[in-house]
Amino acid sequence: METEEAVSLSRVGKTFRDFWLRPTIKAVDGLDLSVARGEVFGLLGPNGSGKSTTIKMILGLIRPDSGAVRLFGQPPDSASARRRLGYLPELSYLHPFMTARETLRYYAGLCGLDGRTAKERIGELLEMTRLADAADRPVGGYSKGMARRVALASALIGRPELLILDEPTSGLDPVSTDEVKTLVRTLAKGGMTILMTSHLLADAEDVCARFMILNHGRAVASGKVAEMKGSLQQCFLAAVAERREFKVAPFLEAVSP
Amino acid sequence: MKAFLAVLLLELRRLSRSRAAWILAGACAAWTLAVPALATSDGTVEGARLLRIQLSLGGAFAICCIALAASGACSLSREREERRLALARVRPAARFSLAAGRVAALVAVGAAALAASCAILAAGVGVGRRCDHVLDPVMASPAAEAEKMYARYMALLPKLDEPDAPPELVDVLTAMTNAPKATVMRMFAQKAMDRYETVPTNSVASWRFELPPDAAGRPLAVRMRFASDFNLRDEVRGVFSIGCREGCVSNVTKSVVKVPLSSPREAADAETEATSLSFSNTGGGTLMLRPRKDVKLLVAADSFGANLVRAYLQMVAILAAICAFAVFLGACLGRTVAVFACFVMLFVGAVSSDVIVSYPDQLETDRIDRVSLAITRTVELAARPLSSLNPVSALASDECVEPAQTAFAVAVDGVAIPIVLSLLAAIAVSKVRCV
Repeated sequence: METEEAVSLSRVGKTFRDFWLRPTIKAVDGLDLSVARGEVFGLLGPNGSGKSTTIKMILGLIRPDSGAVRLFGQPPDSASARRRLGYLPELSYLHPFMTARETLRYYAGLCGLDGRTAKERIGELLEMTRLADAADRPVGGYSKGMARRVALASALIGRPELLILDEPTSGLDPVSTDEVKTLVRTLAKGGMTILMTSHLLADAEDVCARFMILNHGRAVASGKVAEMKGSLQQCFLAAVAERREFKVAPFLEAVSP
Repeated sequence: MKAFLAVLLLELRRLSRSRAAWILAGACAAWTLAVPALATSDGTVEGARLLRIQLSLGGAFAICCIALAASGACSLSREREERRLALARVRPAARFSLAAGRVAALVAVGAAALAASCAILAAGVGVGRRCDHVLDPVMASPAAEAEKMYARYMALLPKLDEPDAPPELVDVLTAMTNAPKATVMRMFAQKAMDRYETVPTNSVASWRFELPPDAAGRPLAVRMRFASDFNLRDEVRGVFSIGCREGCVSNVTKSVVKVPLSSPREAADAETEATSLSFSNTGGGTLMLRPRKDVKLLVAADSFGANLVRAYLQMVAILAAICAFAVFLGACLGRTVAVFACFVMLFVGAVSSDVIVSYPDQLETDRIDRVSLAITRTVELAARPLSSLNPVSALASDECVEPAQTAFAVAVDGVAIPIVLSLLAAIAVSKVRCV
């Protein structure tokens, strides 16, 4: 069933358990989330807030304990949903022995593209990511920024309607970060739905139209970036109010001569 | 299909660019070339040939099995540990392709390495030599004979209550009635296989064979192993005959003798009707032999070259089943555990049939031995499609690797088992957490 929502999570919960099935961490707790088609959505939160678990449930890599996840109205592990999905993980996870062209051809094969379409699309993506000159070098020798662009190109090889970006700019230098952000903005202008997570609030603010902040697996704030009072940073800190006082005085006393 | 080809290419690239494929092919070729220099035979040309085929091809096959099993067990488990499997899982490709493509790539590399080894072997020993179909005598099955033995023992049960019953009989009957019937039947079947037949001096023993329809006019021979009461390599003198063909045997040195049977030219067409092979003992002592194991009729088949091709296909099929099993383990388990489990299963599968023959069911064995034997027997049963089809020893002793057996190996080991295990691996890929 087609819906206007690209991603929809309804009261989704996930608790991780140990070997004896005893609950260890409640990663996501009754989360409701909806991303409309064509929207750029930022899923934000501190470390351990449940962002990655939510993304993995959306990708169908782990199953929620409760609630329902739908991509375009379908279960995320269905082939039709996966055909409309592109995913850029936090680290690029490329096969270091393959060239960029071979990597893209591999993912084109997994997307079921025929040889001619794959060749055309690989050419387009290599041009778009400015990797055409280095396309036949093993990616093991690429810089982090180049590897990130190969990973992004492989996420786009199936021309997805929904692109999920997990920390797309993490570990990149300012120039590479800017390149990735420019690419994402270009794709968003083309009408692609984008769901991204990021620690770098300024990046999210630059790219996203709407956001949700998670803490302890729950949504603690959400809204449109354009309608925010103040910066996303301020909103984030207000929402994630737990600040810990670090008791450094005894340590300093002990180490001072 | 596109996803299958993509995964196949990925795995081939991984194997070739990590140099694993080249090292494997090089190791197989080097081993095949080195065997004649390393192995010491019994000094005869025949012995050297047998040893060369068995060691070179057997060694190359073992190298392929071990290397590809390790590589297969690492393949999916490494992808999962390095988080790349999740990237493949979110694509619309069937998960079956993720496993089957890897199996196909491993088999392709193994097939190339074995082909190099076979080519070197063929160049070394020649391909023109004749091989033979090996026929067993037509006898009641060991299981049927076991049923009869069991019935005979059971008929003696009333004697248990008699005060003068021999203690040995009481012991046997008590052990038999206490043990499960399946165990007793297995023991009796083993006894039936090993049952000796004696051929006293100046007497004739005969066995029936079913000759293939096209046996007329083809060379025939008999292969026989003799023993006396106390000696496994006794003097043998006698005459074999089947129809109008005859062959004399006079042997004091070998435990296994091969006797060609020849006939007058004018009688060559008449032997198709004859199905009974007889042996007339003209020597000085009584001879003993186990008809089910020791008497074989050899009917000329095709050349060593054709036999080598069939053996090659059979080895590749076995390799496919091993690779599929390794990939399946890699889909379910972590890398180290998968490799360890794969090696253990390979080892136990390889030695289990010998263990079972060496330690048949003994009713007096204690519980731990019985449990160990039961486990070994289960593994042997599971590994039988692989171990029973290994063609190397047949190839070395010029026995025909039967086309029907090759077709069975290709269909079962080469196609059915890899498909089933790839499906199971696909389920495991879906179920095992890969993030």
